[in-house]
Amino acid sequence: MGSSSTFSWPYFYQYPPYFTRQPVKETADRQSGLWGSLILAYCKHHKLYVLSPSEDIPLWVNKDINRRLAPEAAVSFLDDLVAAGSALWLDGGAKARCLVLWRRLPDVAAAIASWAASYGMADSVMLLDELAAGPAVAGTELEGLHREVLLRALQVLEAQGKVKLFKGATPEEEGVKFL
Amino acid sequence: MRRRPGIAGIQRDVATREQYRSAGEEVRRASLQQMKAQLATFKSSLEAFALQHKADIRADPVFRAQFHTMCANIGVDPLASNKGMWAELLGFGDFYYELGVQLVEACLASRQLNGGLMELGALRAAVERRRGSRSDPVSEDDIVRAVRKLKVLGGGIDIVTIGRGTYIRSVPGEFNTDKNKVMELAQAAGYISAGQLASTAGWSSQRCERVLAELLKEGMAMIDDGAPDKIRLYWFPALMPQQQQQQ
Repeated sequence: MGSSSTFSWPYFYQYPPYFTRQPVKETADRQSGLWGSLILAYCKHHKLYVLSPSEDIPLWVNKDINRRLAPEAAVSFLDDLVAAGSALWLDGGAKARCLVLWRRLPDVAAAIASWAASYGMADSVMLLDELAAGPAVAGTELEGLHREVLLRALQVLEAQGKVKLFKGATPEEEGVKFL
Repeated sequence: MRRRPGIAGIQRDVATREQYRSAGEEVRRASLQQMKAQLATFKSSLEAFALQHKADIRADPVFRAQFHTMCANIGVDPLASNKGMWAELLGFGDFYYELGVQLVEACLASRQLNGGLMELGALRAAVERRRGSRSDPVSEDDIVRAVRKLKVLGGGIDIVTIGRGTYIRSVPGEFNTDKNKVMELAQAAGYISAGQLASTAGWSSQRCERVLAELLKEGMAMIDDGAPDKIRLYWFPALMPQQQQQQ
């Protein structure tokens, strides 16, 4: 979860009022848009997939200006991302864990299909764990893919008739067959 | 001639006064003509000067401002008519027209951010970015002139002085003295609380709440509840220092 280069923060991140949910609709809408873009960019840069609204990360806390985004505000901005199809709550109504799709699911699905084609995976069966990590995907763009994203991308491929998912007795035995 | 101090005397006085008056008129007429002739000489010298230094006037904002001052002293307005001699001579009409369009665009682009109130220096920088690095540079003086021309067309653009700063307001609606006062008091820090406003301006809390609510609603102010002492602060994006502003 490291980064090779420094993340560059947008201007609004240094301006205290943006860490408070604004009451005026026009301002609030713009604020939500700005935070939504920042959340996606931050997660993409750090290869983060799951965010918690109350965790102590630089995304929510700017020590330089001594401001913290309240969890309710973070939930609100994440809700807007969910509505736009760029995020999913992993825990239903609890809203403590959010899957951030900084890469669109169809794009991830296409990347998997492309990997399968170049590695000649037709008719092969793999465990999901092997697809997420391990020698088969080492050095490829699939490496480090969060299991939740992987699963949903494979579901997209399944709907396209390109793979078949099957459950094992345990989550470790969940697998996929490339058709 | 027999002395007739009565009617004749009066008639003589009238005649003398009449002579003086017509002589005076002659002098005035001559002076006026002389003055007109001098003015015409000034104007033609100015035209010759402008023609000779056309390139410098276009390229150098400081020189351009000085040229404007010189014209004003003689009573000539190079921007008076787009089709006039001056427009032909210097292409001035186009320059300020183009500038007017660019500054309105820059104001509109940042309106969401600052509620339609933009600091003059920030506006100049934004306009320069729109013009690109290869075009003639523009000064704050140029922007002010262009805004004055735009004002004549109506449409709600105006120059507002707040404290020691100059701002261009590009939204219609009233920027009354109360709002101006709030922003002037907030200018140093960039923010103010209702309490600070009440004590510094000497206003009732209702008056403070009202003005702050108006500024909030118009998008010129934003609230901040994250201060260590939890007192709500009101920030004004238009007062944001230039380095912090959005590109």
